[in-house]
Amino acid sequence: MFSALMISVGAVTGISALLAVLMVIADATIGNYGEVKITINGDHEYEVKGGKPLLGTLMEQEIFIPSACGGRGSCGLCKVKVKEGAGQFLPTELPWLSDEEKENNIRLSCQLKVKNDMSIEIPEELFNVKEFQAKIAKVRDLTHDIKEVTMELADPPEINMVAGQFVQLRIPEYELTDEPVYRAYSVASNPSDTKHVELEIRLVPNGIATTYVHNYLKEGDDIIFNGPYGDFFLRDTEREIICIAGGSGMAPIKSILLNMAERGIDRRVRYFFGARSKKDLFLVDEMRRLEQELPNFKFIPALSNPEEEDEWEGETGLITDIVASHMETGDNTEAYLCGSPGMIDACVKVLSEKGVPDELIYYDKFG
Amino acid sequence: MKQSPQLQQVQENMRPGVLTLHGFLGSDKRDLIEILEEDEAEVRRMGTSHRAIADKMAYLRDRGKDGLGEFIDVDPHFEVRVDSVRGGIPSPFGGPGLIPKTNTTVRNTALQREIVYTDINIHLIGEHGFYEGKGSLFRMEPHELVEILEVETEQQQTELPSNR
Repeated sequence: MFSALMISVGAVTGISALLAVLMVIADATIGNYGEVKITINGDHEYEVKGGKPLLGTLMEQEIFIPSACGGRGSCGLCKVKVKEGAGQFLPTELPWLSDEEKENNIRLSCQLKVKNDMSIEIPEELFNVKEFQAKIAKVRDLTHDIKEVTMELADPPEINMVAGQFVQLRIPEYELTDEPVYRAYSVASNPSDTKHVELEIRLVPNGIATTYVHNYLKEGDDIIFNGPYGDFFLRDTEREIICIAGGSGMAPIKSILLNMAERGIDRRVRYFFGARSKKDLFLVDEMRRLEQELPNFKFIPALSNPEEEDEWEGETGLITDIVASHMETGDNTEAYLCGSPGMIDACVKVLSEKGVPDELIYYDKFG
Repeated sequence: MKQSPQLQQVQENMRPGVLTLHGFLGSDKRDLIEILEEDEAEVRRMGTSHRAIADKMAYLRDRGKDGLGEFIDVDPHFEVRVDSVRGGIPSPFGGPGLIPKTNTTVRNTALQREIVYTDINIHLIGEHGFYEGKGSLFRMEPHELVEILEVETEQQQTELPSNR
């Protein structure tokens, strides 16, 4: 009886071991796709090793597709158009793709594996995106829940970008994550300082990246980021400018204003900044200084619920109401908005009612 | 109760790296059916329902949106802020498409307590009675939701004057 039992256990163990060996062999042979060619935008060709997801394969060629989750398929941002060589849609891609995107062969590059020659299309500006090694030069509190982080570039030592763009910060493994994640943050500094990148990061409850920045990151730490990304930048026109932001939405607007001051662009600008009370307000002195440098710039902070001890004498109310009360008409006006989706949607509605054409309202939604 | 193959598949979807980096189960080693049954029992003991809890979460989230990203007062003594980050998350149960990554922070100023929940919490609780596994970053304790959000129990609802 006992020997029969031992023979059965031995047989099962043997079969399991055999299957494991077969799987290893299959992975090394069937899954070995060898060298394949990726053609980008018809004229850039790359010989790569097949078998890995497209996102990571492109990253190895120093081509960075925006992705907020580091390739885990949980943000849906890393979409690219695959003209040839993609194969069928994967179940893990489908939740992220609209019918129109599927018809246009848009694929989620973190899920799609490179198994044969491929032809893809990406925005041309992504060829300017690089990965940067940097050191944390400074961390300071702007408010009780927003930190300003200044990174000094090491390799490459300089970045070329346009005011208003964003970068993706690589958060390393720590208590809340056992693998690196990437999160996008707008740059707050003037792009003319090519050796530094400054970010303003608000603590998101339970947020993996913001918790790291607020509770773990310190001066002198090494950090990796990639960028620049985005098409949120000042258009070269003569129109009046309305800027609206709240919280860490201050960052790209500040970058744009610093750049305007440096370049002597003296268009009429009104910047509406919404906060709840005085403790949520920051960089007021810097904005007042910019008012001196840009005679046609006006900073209009508004508190939705000032505390009694704030002794607030400025604008009070929701930022949408303040914008509506200050704007007579949207004629000859363009607008730049940065904040939560709810704030953006509400502000777009007000601006539209004032007559600002939709195509002249530029925004960077957090969502 | 034995776990059905369908629920087993849902449990697989909840593992780290399948739909989200950390998954929905945390360090919980129980089968999904056990997690659901235990939370169901607690909600029943409190005399309320998953739907009532999810409805209160959604109500406060919707009111909080009026704050345009900042805290806003909501009667009788709540402060609510609604934040969003880029992207969305599919439900591990399948449908209803991508759920936005929205965080709602509710402070009950009378109790001096605060709770943070996401849109997918509202969906998972309201539609599936799932509060996430123990140790999950976004695990919601049913009793905390009921206490902090002041979800009315069935008894409290029947005690309300009927003037409709």
